Amino acid sequence: MEKPVPYRSGEVEGVFSRTLDVIHSALVSYYRLTPDEATGAEEDLLVWFQRLSRRGGAGQMPIKLLRISLLSAACQYGRSFQLWKLGGEQSGDRELNELLAREPDEVAGDLERRFEEERS
Amino acid sequence: MTGRVLPFKGRPLSSEAGIQAAERVLATPLEERLQKVRALHLEDPETLLALCGILRERMTSAPASVLEEAEFLYRFIESPKREIGLFDERDYFLGEAALIAGGACRYLSRREEAWVWFDRAEAGFRHTMNAPSELSRLAFQKLAERFEERQLDLVIELLPSLVESFQKLGMPEDALKCRFLEGLAHVEKDEPSAAVSVFNQICSEAEKRGLDRLLAESYVNLVHAHGMCGEAEAAIEASRRAIPILRGLDDRIALAKTHWGLGILLRETGHPAEAIDSYRKAQEDFEALGMRADIAALNLVVADLLLEEDKSVEALREISEALPVIAELKMAPEGMAALSLVRESVRRQEVNRQALRELHGYFQELQN
Repeated sequence: MEKPVPYRSGEVEGVFSRTLDVIHSALVSYYRLTPDEATGAEEDLLVWFQRLSRRGGAGQMPIKLLRISLLSAACQYGRSFQLWKLGGEQSGDRELNELLAREPDEVAGDLERRFEEERS
Repeated sequence: MTGRVLPFKGRPLSSEAGIQAAERVLATPLEERLQKVRALHLEDPETLLALCGILRERMTSAPASVLEEAEFLYRFIESPKREIGLFDERDYFLGEAALIAGGACRYLSRREEAWVWFDRAEAGFRHTMNAPSELSRLAFQKLAERFEERQLDLVIELLPSLVESFQKLGMPEDALKCRFLEGLAHVEKDEPSAAVSVFNQICSEAEKRGLDRLLAESYVNLVHAHGMCGEAEAAIEASRRAIPILRGLDDRIALAKTHWGLGILLRETGHPAEAIDSYRKAQEDFEALGMRADIAALNLVVADLLLEEDKSVEALREISEALPVIAELKMAPEGMAALSLVRESVRRQEVNRQALRELHGYFQELQN
């Protein structure tokens, strides 16, 4: 009874590129990744997002509703990467420590609100 | 240093190459695949994504082989623990393979296995980034299974919440699919006119959205519901619309159900011999699909018709074929008393017709 997931390539890249500034600033300004590290992460995020949009369930959803998942993935990525770089130590940066203590989904929710505010 | 924390082993496939790789995987015997993991790109998420899509498509034409393939896929990803794709993709593929396997078990009436697979699907999907949409699809499969287990009150209680979830997630087609269960519940409650109304609404919406499978399956249910009302012309018209779409989709399950629906109609309109022919066609289709529960249910329906024709020896033969399958597959949990009565009457070579009708009444209308 399930229908095949349609390929929505242009739409997917469109949503990704409109969200890219927010992702980049989250990775660099929030999670303190270097610009090069952030660029590598963004390449992976695009590939992942393209496949997310073809999953059984997510593939049936409007692409723009998948943006929160993209932001969530970006925050999880940024957090895991920074924790790995710190190797279990606390950072000397208090703001970074506070951010790393928060759930990535929660940070993604803040980013989504910021995105909506900037658009309106 | 770059931010690429999860590099691919080798060059990742494009989506087109993933489809070709998936076809090569399916053409390779199961026992040879583990030796050819790299050559088949079996760990590439594009291959897995395409495989899942193909298996979902084949569900209604070959559920037994879909189950075999989905189980292979699940075991392959699960153990030994393989790194698959990026972020949550391994969990997604575990969940998806299990959901497909559970759905196939549902079609094959392998109820206990279906629940185990649904639990596995939940375990996978729970860790994914977009869990609500995948978990809602799982919830639909669970409700459909509960429907087949005749837990109608629970299905009716939980349906509105699931419809709401699909609407919130922007998945109106899946919300529409839920209305199927609503229509079928009317059939179960012997309210065929209400069922006709629901299925007509689904047809109209599915046609508008170009959802062929949903459209055809709604027509199949209309054949059935009109048949129950004795509305011959409307039932034939619905089957006329359903069959070409179903053939195009190679939806053999729904084609079998169309024959079943026509059988009901022919019986209701006083053509028992033709009705039996139609039921036999449905049984042949189910046989090819490995759907033993449906074959057994039809054996009882045919037995009832044969009794009407005073052919009690033939009727006894039909019932004797069905009873072991019904017991093995636990098809009539709430019809155990009727099952015992029928079993006892067969032993005495004198069919208890009331018990027979009660028994096949438990599942003869369960066509979805």
